[in-house]
This record gives sequence, structure tokens and C-alpha cells, in this order.
Amino acid sequence: MAVSRTVIISCAGMGSRLGLGSTKALLEVGGKSLIIRHLEMLDHEKDIRVVVGYQAESVIEAVRKYREDILFVFNHRYRETGTGASVALAAKYANEYILSLDGDLLVHPEDMKKVLACSHEFVSGGVPGTDDPWMLQTYKENGREYVSAFSKNTGTYEWNGITQMKSQKMQNGTGHVFQLIEPYLPVPFLELRTCEIDTVNDYERALEWVKNGFH
Amino acid sequence: MSGYVFLFDLDATITRQEILPAVSRKLGVFEKNFSLTKRTMQGEIPFKQSFLDRVELLKKFPVSQVSRLVDEIPVNEKLVEFITNHRQRCYIVTVHLDVWIQEMIKKMGMEDHLFCSRALVRNDYIQDVSDILDKNTVINQMNLPFVAAGDGNHDAEMIQAAEIGIGYGGVHDVSPAVLAVASHVICQEDKLAEFLERLL
Repeated sequence: MAVSRTVIISCAGMGSRLGLGSTKALLEVGGKSLIIRHLEMLDHEKDIRVVVGYQAESVIEAVRKYREDILFVFNHRYRETGTGASVALAAKYANEYILSLDGDLLVHPEDMKKVLACSHEFVSGGVPGTDDPWMLQTYKENGREYVSAFSKNTGTYEWNGITQMKSQKMQNGTGHVFQLIEPYLPVPFLELRTCEIDTVNDYERALEWVKNGFH
Repeated sequence: MSGYVFLFDLDATITRQEILPAVSRKLGVFEKNFSLTKRTMQGEIPFKQSFLDRVELLKKFPVSQVSRLVDEIPVNEKLVEFITNHRQRCYIVTVHLDVWIQEMIKKMGMEDHLFCSRALVRNDYIQDVSDILDKNTVINQMNLPFVAAGDGNHDAEMIQAAEIGIGYGGVHDVSPAVLAVASHVICQEDKLAEFLERLL
């Protein structure tokens, strides 16, 4: 049975570390913006919420050109709150699970299929690759891997911001997304190939990744 | 149950077209009306003044004729279904004149759940506008948390005061004043109705 899920894409932030004049979700990689890349892979999802803040009008306009049935949720306090606040706002009145993605992320198309096939809670990560990672500490039990902690210093995988959790658990917070999840650890781990774009170096890596067909 | 009360703008939220331009087109005074509507939406003319100017254009036509034409304007069926299914918790909040929208409102069975402007009528013609609705007075009367949905600059205060303030962009783009204060924006009727159901 299909999971009762609301997809949340957080696009409220400013992309200041990239020195961009626009929000990162509108950044084009390989001729297509990050937000449209997400939406293309989410064509079969029925409840998608895009959190907007900085340059909300431009994000809404870009999304509507691709798809009309999106619920836009405003995080007007995007300057002083983290992505956790955006997710908490969008998790209200949602389906049983929320799948949360950052708008500044590229996901390997094959791995997105893995995400959408997943019908339980998970926290996701991959091989460390960005300039300023948050790490996941994990352990294995009965052949399954679980995330036990988030850490700035040590861990096996880099946290990529993708998580699927019961929406009831994600409705309060103003900081990072992982701070919403922390009280509920351990949570099953899901390995994914992604590329987060925070800095110019990240952006160049992302361009290369797309150019090489995600290899 | 949430206990929310639901407030809806009429023009381009419940209706699928802007009411006065649509009526004006049928009555052959569209150009003048369109220019006023456009300048109002761009914030160049205060809403009240623009509304009175537009009433002036249409008051030479019988009230019954205008009311009938208003009634012919297509509505967002899913939204009207939500409103009629939850009539006791819903209110229509509009600056339009009672005498022009009466047929449409009657069809929805919302006569007792309506905040609107009022006109004096003699022999089927408008004599004067006796009261222009200030949406702020409606907000002040709400003693329960409420949800509000609308599209235009004059809905912004109502949407800002709401617990859930929805900018509806299904007819035209949501106005900048609403974008600045809305908690949500929805641009498709089915999605609006579906989200409202979640808020019950």
C-alpha cells in the first residue's frame, strides 16, 4: 500500500554563501533549476509543499510553470530561523509521514526512486563530500543500519537533509531539521547519492556530477 | 475538530472571474471598468474610491439585471461545496453590494453568513451606497481563531489576522500585499478545497 505522505521542499533561504542574487532552489544546474529537478522526480506525489521565504514570488512563479497543485507554505522568519522552522510549519495538517528535502540539493534520480519506495521513517546520508558537513553516527543491528546521532565532528556518513518521519513528530522547532529528529533517534538509515550546494565549490561539483550523468 | 471559523473573499476566490469587469463586459462598459480595476490591483487608486467609481459606471443599469449577470459568473464549485457543507462555520466577506450579489449568495444559502457593502435602491436602480464594508470590522468581530482566504490587496489585513491566512492564486496572481502576510498560497481550486478539509 502506498504510504500516506506529504513531501516538503524547503526553499526559504537566501543562498548567501554562494553569493547568489536569488534563492538556491532557483539555481540552474545543467540548464534546469534545482527545484524543477526535484519536482520532475516527484511527479507521482500528490501532496507537495514548497516552503518559501526569500524571493517567494519568484519561487512560486517558477514552480507554477511546472505544476499548479502545490501548497506553498511561508516562512516569513527565514532570516532568523533554520530549515527546521520551515519543515515544522509545513508539517502541520500534513499526511501521516512527511518526506523532507532541501531545495538546494541534487539527488541521484535512481536514489530518489529508493526514497519514494520507502514506507517507514528514515534519516539519510551519503559519502562525505561538501565543504562543511554535518555527520551521521550509525550502528548496525540485525542486518539493518540505524542513525544514532548527528555530529559536527565524527561519523560515517554526511547528513544530506533528506528524512522521512511521522509528521506529528516534526511540528515544533526553529533550528536545524536534525534537531527535530534528534529526540526520536535511533531511526533507520538510508544511503543516498546527493550533492548539496552551499558554496561555490559545491556548485562546481554539482555541475560536474550532472554533466557526467550522475557518476 | 479545530474550531476554526472560515472567512472567504468572494471576488476571484469564490468566483472564477473578477465580478465587476465580467458584468461590465456584458453591459458594454468594460474598457472603463477594466482600467479602474487594473489600477486598483496595482495599488494606484485606493480600493474604496475605485469601488465607488465602478459602482457609478454600473448604476445606470437596473439592479435586477446586474444581479442576474453576477449570478451567471462561474464559481469555484469545489470551494462552494466546502462552504455549503460547512455553512455554519463559513462567512463570505466582500465589498460588493448586497443588491448585486444577492442571487449568487442566495443560491449558496449564505444570506445569514455574509459581510458586504450595502446600497439603497429605488425602482430597481441604485440611489446611493449606504455602507462600504471595512474588512477590519469583520476581523474585530471574530472571537474565535479563523482561517481566511482571498487574493487581493484589500484582503491582506484579514489574511494577516487569520491563524491560517491563505492567498488564493487560482484566478489571477496573489497580490504582493497578500504574499507579504499569508501563511499559505494555493493556486488550484482542488488543492484549496483539499487543504480546507484538513483544517476542519
